[in-house]
Amino acid sequence: MSLEQYVANSIIELAPVFATFYLVALGHSLFEKAGLLDLAIDGVFFMGSSIAVRAAVASGSPIVGTVVAAIVTMLLGVALAFLMTYLPISHGAIGLSMMFLGYGIGIIVGYPARLEVGSIAMYAYSEGWAIAIMAISIAIGATVHIILKYTKLGAAIRACGENPHAASSLGVNVLLTRLIAGAVGFAIMGAGSSFFTLAWQKFWDPKSYTLGYGWLAFTVALTSGRHPIVLMPISLVFGGLIFYRVRIGVMYGVEKDVANLVPFIAALAAMLICYATKLKKVLAPPASLGKVYYKEERTV
Amino acid sequence: MSDEYIVLKEISKRFAGGVVALDKVTIDIRMGEVLALLGENGAGKSTLIKILYGVYSADEGSIYINGRRVDVHSPTEAIKYGIVMVSQHPQLIDTLSVVENLALGLRNFNAFTSIRKISSFILEKSREFGVKVDPWEKVWRLTYTQKQLVEILRAMLLKARVILLDEALTYLPLEEKKKFYKFIKEFTAKGGSTVVITHKIPEALDVADRIAVLRRGRLVGIVEGTSARIEDVRRMMFGESAAEITYEKLPASQPGGRVVIETQDLWVTGDFGEDAVRGVDLRVREGEVVGIAGIVGNGQRELTQALMGLRKASRGRILIDGRNVTNRGIHEVREVGVGYIPDSPLALGISIDNSMAENIAALYQRKSALINWSEVYKVASSLIETYRIVIPGADSLIKVLSGGNIMKAVVSKEINYCKKALIAHNPTRALDEVSAAMVRRSIKEKAINNGVAVLLVSEDLDEIYQVSDSIHVMNSGKLYGPFPPDEAERSKVEHLMVI
Ligand SMILES: Nc1ncnc2c1ncn2[C@@H]1O[C@H](COP(=O)(O)OP(=O)(O)OP(=O)(O)O)[C@@H](O)[C@H]1O
Ligand SMILES: [Mg+2]
Repeated sequence: MSLEQYVANSIIELAPVFATFYLVALGHSLFEKAGLLDLAIDGVFFMGSSIAVRAAVASGSPIVGTVVAAIVTMLLGVALAFLMTYLPISHGAIGLSMMFLGYGIGIIVGYPARLEVGSIAMYAYSEGWAIAIMAISIAIGATVHIILKYTKLGAAIRACGENPHAASSLGVNVLLTRLIAGAVGFAIMGAGSSFFTLAWQKFWDPKSYTLGYGWLAFTVALTSGRHPIVLMPISLVFGGLIFYRVRIGVMYGVEKDVANLVPFIAALAAMLICYATKLKKVLAPPASLGKVYYKEERTV
Repeated sequence: MSDEYIVLKEISKRFAGGVVALDKVTIDIRMGEVLALLGENGAGKSTLIKILYGVYSADEGSIYINGRRVDVHSPTEAIKYGIVMVSQHPQLIDTLSVVENLALGLRNFNAFTSIRKISSFILEKSREFGVKVDPWEKVWRLTYTQKQLVEILRAMLLKARVILLDEALTYLPLEEKKKFYKFIKEFTAKGGSTVVITHKIPEALDVADRIAVLRRGRLVGIVEGTSARIEDVRRMMFGESAAEITYEKLPASQPGGRVVIETQDLWVTGDFGEDAVRGVDLRVREGEVVGIAGIVGNGQRELTQALMGLRKASRGRILIDGRNVTNRGIHEVREVGVGYIPDSPLALGISIDNSMAENIAALYQRKSALINWSEVYKVASSLIETYRIVIPGADSLIKVLSGGNIMKAVVSKEINYCKKALIAHNPTRALDEVSAAMVRRSIKEKAINNGVAVLLVSEDLDEIYQVSDSIHVMNSGKLYGPFPPDEAERSKVEHLMVI
């Protein structure tokens, strides 16, 4: 195999991995930029990837799978954003409940479809899609970045994350802004999670398919300071480590279990670098992330 | 009457814990007037204008604008009616730029308009209003005055017809304040209306066309600004307690020989890397009140924070009660028995998400593994009583208190805590006149009766003269003085403040 071929193959292999991590982390970041703490991520991830299977099997098209997953998770995002903004209850509690709800829905909705058809490979995206999926993900990310950084809506989202009381006083409709961030953020997460089953794994066996990939995306978002552009290289490196961990292990003669730790060690290292340097300020979390907001609270 | 622009009719508001903040208050705001809204701490002033600005909603009563009944559910809606509020604490987003902050409320641009485009509109307008601020500067880099300027500019950009100022001008330096008042005069001359809340009563009498007084949630009355006498207004505000207001010089203390607060060639770096404090030598003896006068932003904040161990000294030494505490951190300083009333009480003075009792426990029982709650509650109730803090109970969260009562909670726990020294920066900010007089008296009593060394930093020169035994001036990080506190030399002090 020539070098070019090798690189091309790697890109095609890695594209769905990148797209999964990047989009889930991106949607999650957008949601959190508005001050909404997202502990539902792993449940949403699982639910999205499973609903995608169900819809793809039912329609025969992976694209329908992705779209349906995005729509369903979007509804969940709207519900979460509403509850977290309108009620004086803990973001953590609602988020974790939603996580378990996501697991439940995922198993009930998706798995029967998988059993019915035996293998999901024929309903998944073909290899020809890999580059397109990667390109679309990057385009979505760039759009989110431009909106967040350069538009009035973006300023409103960031304002809600920093100080929703002040934002409201400045004339921002906090509820509406957060509903938008919730809808768009979760739709992106849903689309990303659909690529997990339909473009990356292309098979679904509960024995090898464990929960927890959502938390990996969570780590990616955290490491990148929720920044749409910084997320790109971090998702790629992180996705690559996850994807190649076994091969890396074999290459350097390390045990499989140790090799499995590599992505997490890399994440830890990246976080340490972020927080020990000036990057800390640039990538700081929104000041009101996870704080209860409701109108009659004092706005000193 | 046709010139009644807004009428607040029989507004009532109760808060959790049975607090009646407003009880059937009816007030009209007329076109082209300055209406002063006065009352003691906790009277309901902020609540009333927050209802008009849509921050809170009234339990009962209605709002009429131009004779039409309206509902104002949010600031966004209030802005639509041309009502804009500016409060004592700038309600701006620190991490956003000036233009981003200003853009948020503008309805003539849709959500996807680029900030760059909005910025040219804002620049053009600010030139029109004669306001100079860099629109791309991040808000956290602005001074307090600049932030308030941005808030006023915001009101103009939003085409405000009614500006609500909740102690918004009270704490600006004198020169700036004059400019703002001039601006308000022009605004009302063009038909705009302004509601001014302040605890500086002479100032209110000076600018107001009419004066409305609230007391314990009720409207006491409305009087004409031109004919009102200050004693009558004070009596309306405080009743019998008005007699406690005094600006007379307090008795001098007899300082002992021991130096309790001492700095030697102290240099402190400010937030932007500049030398904020430049070679300060200061000595406060036991039982003595040393005042530091000066215009805000001349290094006072950095000096007091360095004394408390909250900011690094880049050079020099700090000795408290003979102990070298330079750069040792606040714990060591607190250990000696130092009380601290910070310039930004919400950030450094108290945790508003905790109760009065918890805040007291955190300070008074820092070292014990188990908290002696009965002790804590004893302290809490005695402070609430002595300082007449309007609070449902020692278990109430600080954030439900009125602005002045939050300050009273900070001040009372610190004055009571100090054993050797008290570092007080603007200790009567946000307090009504009766409370302010009481706080000044208790500070002086601590010095006289308990031998506490007091460093009083204040932008209010009258306050400095009333309490201090000797006076310094701080200007551009340098300390001048000491000067004796007799009025004869006051012009010299005033001069040093502005050179
Ligand atoms: N969000 C809230 N929750 C509970 N109680 C509140 C709330 N806001 C205000 N209060 C109570 O309502 C009363 C009136 O408060 P308000 O802030 O209107 O007083 P104020 O006249 O502005 O006083 P100050 O001069 O101290 O600012 C106080 O007793 C206060 O404790
Ligand atoms: Mg108030």
